Amino acid sequence: MASVYSPPGFNFSNEIRNNFLLEKGLPLPKATSTGTTIVGCLFKDGIVLGADTRATEGPIVADKNCEKIHYITENIRCCGAGTAADTEFTTALISSNMELHALSTGRKPRVVTAMTMLKQMLYRYQGHVGAALVLGGVDATGPHLFTIHPHGSTDKLPYVTMGSGSLAAMAVFESGWRADMSRDEALNLVKAAISAGIFNDLGSGSNVDACIITATHTELLRNVEMPNQRVEKERKYAFRRGTTAWKNQTVRDLIVKEELTTVGAGPGEAMDTT
Amino acid sequence: MPDMVSLAQPQQRQFNPYADNGGTILAIAGADFTVIAGDTRQSEGYSIQTRYAPKVFRLTDRAVLAVNGFAADGNMFVKKVRQRLEWYRHAHAKDMPLRAIARLIQTMLYARRFFPFYVYNILGGIEEDGSGAVYSFDPVGSYEREACRAAGAAQSLVQPFLDNQIYFKNQVPAPGMAHPVHLPLSTVLSLVIDSFTSATERHIEVGDGLEMYVVLAKGSTAIQSLSTVRGIQEMTVTEDGERVFVIRRELKKD
Amino acid sequence: MNTFADRFSTTTAASQLRHAQKLAEEEEFDATMWGSSAGFGSLTKGVPTFTVPAVPDPTAFLRLHTDDHADPSCRIKIKHGTTTLAFRFQGGVIVAVDSRATAGSYIASGTVKKVIEINPYLLGTMAGGAADCQFWETYLGMHCRLHELRNRERISVSAASKYLSNLVYSYKGMGLSMGTMICGWDKTGPAVFYVDSDGTRLKGDLFAVGSGSTFAYGVLDQGYRWDLTDEEAQELGRRSIYAAGHRDAFSGNTCNLYHVKEAGWTFLGNYDISQMHYEGPGDVPGAPGGGYGYDIRVEGRNSSDPPEEAAAA
Repeated sequence: MASVYSPPGFNFSNEIRNNFLLEKGLPLPKATSTGTTIVGCLFKDGIVLGADTRATEGPIVADKNCEKIHYITENIRCCGAGTAADTEFTTALISSNMELHALSTGRKPRVVTAMTMLKQMLYRYQGHVGAALVLGGVDATGPHLFTIHPHGSTDKLPYVTMGSGSLAAMAVFESGWRADMSRDEALNLVKAAISAGIFNDLGSGSNVDACIITATHTELLRNVEMPNQRVEKERKYAFRRGTTAWKNQTVRDLIVKEELTTVGAGPGEAMDTT
Repeated sequence: MPDMVSLAQPQQRQFNPYADNGGTILAIAGADFTVIAGDTRQSEGYSIQTRYAPKVFRLTDRAVLAVNGFAADGNMFVKKVRQRLEWYRHAHAKDMPLRAIARLIQTMLYARRFFPFYVYNILGGIEEDGSGAVYSFDPVGSYEREACRAAGAAQSLVQPFLDNQIYFKNQVPAPGMAHPVHLPLSTVLSLVIDSFTSATERHIEVGDGLEMYVVLAKGSTAIQSLSTVRGIQEMTVTEDGERVFVIRRELKKD
Repeated sequence: MNTFADRFSTTTAASQLRHAQKLAEEEEFDATMWGSSAGFGSLTKGVPTFTVPAVPDPTAFLRLHTDDHADPSCRIKIKHGTTTLAFRFQGGVIVAVDSRATAGSYIASGTVKKVIEINPYLLGTMAGGAADCQFWETYLGMHCRLHELRNRERISVSAASKYLSNLVYSYKGMGLSMGTMICGWDKTGPAVFYVDSDGTRLKGDLFAVGSGSTFAYGVLDQGYRWDLTDEEAQELGRRSIYAAGHRDAFSGNTCNLYHVKEAGWTFLGNYDISQMHYEGPGDVPGAPGGGYGYDIRVEGRNSSDPPEEAAAA
């Protein structure tokens, strides 16, 4: 018997049909993908996260200045690559759960907690949730930096990159990263790594976002570098009023003119019965 | 013991000699000039192979060819067209006329009907009557003469813009006025630059550099508007005939 | 084994390709390409030669890489989509075509010349692969001229169409795509032949070819008579292409109209389909005046604001 009960979570009932249609040559509509370069690196006082700001749909740039560094808690942030909707909703969900967790335990949230929640969720959906994440933060146990792959595997490393520009960014890290860098050194290295992705990977572009997390303070540097400003057009493209053809026109007067005629006596005035 | 069951399946391998190297080309014909342009980025997938790979080539003083699609096929095709034009020069002691080059390109493309060159060609230049002309081709050689044409990765972004600004599609002229039949060179150059800066903004395979070839008919007055153009370079070989210029501009590199 | 038979047979597609390949390998550029025949150098010997990929099944290779059957994933897009029509009547032959070329859902061009002027007495129409039609009908034009030189008289429409039919039949199964009407006037009077890449060749009074042909037939069949006047016939051709351009997404933009008479063909004009919808084809003989769209018949009103007659009913 067919049940009217719909279980919570994702609905996979069209999976088989969609695969069948795919074989017949009818692909699914494309999801917005953040072609992306995202990075994170450890420094003396904490973590620096970085991201580009281009979102693509196939070869078309869908958003020239999107935000890929997502809020988890005040001291934990997460960069997302892959399907834009998946990274946004997973990080938002984990962010909520982390807040609830912090309230119920009465302790400051830890990075491993967020990492475990994320990997368990991604593993449960067997890669169908297309989120590739760089998770970083500072908690009671110190600074932590993780990568989480769409199938749920994780890495803990001092410097990490993800997304289509990960190779370009990693090349910069491999040649430039040192232990115990200063804040400015780390920020410059992250800027250089993201820039390498922006200029050498077609899936990444536009601006550099960065986020510096230390034990005491989190600083989001939105558009910290803007090396790809839109150039001014050679011509002005304003159209003369009346350029678009029309089939018919009706002009309606929206000002309602009322004329009041008093019939009989106004209120408060005694009726004339003479 | 049962026989060993072979799990080996026949595997189909297919021969794929083609790749898509992105980029966009564009040509606009004026009354007595033609502008042929292309970006200089060559890419495969998400990687940039080079930031400077010309897609527009001077064939003669009155013909310029832009090729887009698979770069290896494109370069080989231009090489073969140039070879045939040189043979023609040796046989006839003159350059081949533009409409003849167009037909030559058709037959050369169609000779590969069963193993096509993966190349979209746009030929621009000056006809024998002194008018500007653009010929556009499909990969197997069908062609037509047009006033403007965009091809390649961002053709669906650029062509509607040109339809609106060159053919004045969906624009009603002011009462008592008419749309101009031919645009001046300065306007055409501005439209080409704006087409490419816009395509660079929204298409990931377009960018790095822009090369615009300008072919002027003999005695064209459009030469005046070129004198003020920054960084223009003359490519003309013969004297007192048509003249070819190239203008280069930077495009965004992300 | 089939492959064994294939290798030594001289009639299969594979052997023809092998033959073509051999020619191409032997000498890609021959002396004829040097001379004044530069453009058609490769054709003057008779049969053109083609380069063929070095794979066991070249036809399958071609099908894989071109949109032979509207496969959207392939790289090489060949222009498709069309409405063309031609009909014979008392005053000659009317040929009318649209001008749209589509590659998938993209309108690749709105200014295609789908009538190929083979010579002053012969017209061919283009449906299917644009390059196939352009190339082979130009090639047919050369052979029609050779026929004239050899026989001191013009080729009949029947002979010309049969030449084309035999030619494309020799490439059957190799991926050519053509649906064409060869129209002209010869000793027998006006003539129309339908030829396609399957090898079909039909003589007839009235044909429409392409994705919009059903819409064109609707108007055409309704208004067709043998004793149509020239003006009526021209208007019928124009109106039929308009109908197809209006209802078929893969046809449209403009209509090109030709009339073949005893003295050869004349080009009558290029008519914008959306202009025909709103304003009509302009001041041309046979036009009723006003647009072809039904706006004119409903006095610019609709169901929520019906014209007076409908409101009364």
